[in-house]
Amino acid sequence: MLRSIGWNKLNDTIVDYSDKTRETITMSDWSKVTRPIPVPNEWTKPFWESAKKNVLALQRCQSCRHFQHPPYATCVNCMSVDLKFEPVAGKGAIYAYTIMYHTGDKRFVAAVPYASIIVELDDAPGALMAGNLLEAEYTEAKVGRRVEVVFQKLNDDFTLPQFRLAK
Amino acid sequence: MWENRCKIAVSGVGFSKATRTAETPLAAHALQAVKAAVEDSGLKLADIDGLATYPELPATGHAEVDGISIVSVNCMMAMLKLPNLTWHIQTGSVNIGGAVQQAVNALLAGVCKYAVVWRAMHNPKGTYQNLPGAYAAGALQFTGPYGFGGPGQGMAVAYTRWLERHNQPREKMATLAVTQRRHTQKNPLAYFYGTPLSREDYLNSRMVAYPFCLYDCDIPVQGACAIVLTAADRARDLKPTPAYLAGYGQRLHFEVAGRIGSLSSYMAGGSSSAKLTWERSGFTPKDVDVAQIYDGFSASVIYGLESYGFCKEGEALDFIQDGRIELDGELPLNTFGGSLGTGRIHGLWHIIEGALQASGRAGDRQVKDVNVSFVGASAPIVQGTTFIFVKEPY
Repeated sequence: MLRSIGWNKLNDTIVDYSDKTRETITMSDWSKVTRPIPVPNEWTKPFWESAKKNVLALQRCQSCRHFQHPPYATCVNCMSVDLKFEPVAGKGAIYAYTIMYHTGDKRFVAAVPYASIIVELDDAPGALMAGNLLEAEYTEAKVGRRVEVVFQKLNDDFTLPQFRLAK
Repeated sequence: MWENRCKIAVSGVGFSKATRTAETPLAAHALQAVKAAVEDSGLKLADIDGLATYPELPATGHAEVDGISIVSVNCMMAMLKLPNLTWHIQTGSVNIGGAVQQAVNALLAGVCKYAVVWRAMHNPKGTYQNLPGAYAAGALQFTGPYGFGGPGQGMAVAYTRWLERHNQPREKMATLAVTQRRHTQKNPLAYFYGTPLSREDYLNSRMVAYPFCLYDCDIPVQGACAIVLTAADRARDLKPTPAYLAGYGQRLHFEVAGRIGSLSSYMAGGSSSAKLTWERSGFTPKDVDVAQIYDGFSASVIYGLESYGFCKEGEALDFIQDGRIELDGELPLNTFGGSLGTGRIHGLWHIIEGALQASGRAGDRQVKDVNVSFVGASAPIVQGTTFIFVKEPY
């Protein structure tokens, strides 16, 4: 059975999914989670540099105009090597998601259960981005639901694009 | 149709006793399985002249140590000291099915006569997927910071899309878990032999990565299995009834390295591989008498049934109901218990069971009147391989 849970007490709670009658659902507590820091490479550096300025920019083929993510050496649509990063509006829909209960990365245990979502942006169909659903209960994650990008500062060098339900 | 259909056959098969933890070094498991497969064929070790494996350790964040956490071809050669070895390979893609297919090609090319293929799987101490630490490099830089570091997330995200697009409840999957566990009770070598599973057990089990509960995931074990492949005319002179390879297919479908698995990629990988297998063998899904479909995570079976063409997209959770996948059903499925029953030995056990069913050697779990036996040996997205074995060459 689920013990009573308050706003920030999720860490102390054993979540029994089988308890379908539970009344209290709360937001994942990210305050105690230390996220891994991204290590950019030559293809991905512009993505992280833009994110640091609170701009979501994705790799775009200058030949066929196809957006792709994650960044790659060539255009996956037309094989062109003429690729540049261009800003996108950051609005889209949840393509898929999972709710994490058992996490291999122990640094995330404090946030369990949490929604890891895959977002397909309106501007960049087919370019799937990972994120967490912030500012909402994890049960709000549903395929097709509208989301928008928000920026979460990790440290002085890195800012993480994240998502919340579209206003 | 493929001009080489039924020219190669599976002869002997062998196993080690899988254990939850790694008390015995992995090399000893692999050696036991290989020796057992050779003995099952009625051959001597000195007859073996071809070796193939796919040695990858799927547990991330753990070291690959030869003989301990993987068993390479080099390791096997050092143990067996085969005097007549003429061909060997270890593959790096399309999983163990790819290694089996390479052995088939080598036999067809005439560069060896009796090939052994093994798969050895290690269960490391501590967390299986040990991801990713303080820094997320490479493909992980776009997933690790979001806590995409647990079991089966690529499968889980595709599964939510499948469920919600097709308006299906995850509870229907209980039928697969319970039926396969019942099949497991007829496989004494399976990890969960002697441990039944009820529908209530499934529905009440803890969540791992929604929509996957504990019983949607195979359990990591330490163990190995092996098969002997040879030309059909040689196989007929050996001890076991041969299972003839009617056709195979492979397809790697991953648009961009590091991209999170999309449902469409699973479907594309599976259908491409299966199409080759149907064309080469001349059979269609309706001809299949028994099927083994990779089930490291339960949803793999759903993607497999649909992408291979056994049912339409969105229908697989209904397809598995009403006794259809029982041993006496319309399409007996994962008759050895699947990975959900045997533990995580990857796809070679599926291939072995497909061959055993075709040759009538599956014992208590033998399906009646099998001629066409289908195998989907790995999750279609990253490394789809498919096979058809038959009892009667044609």
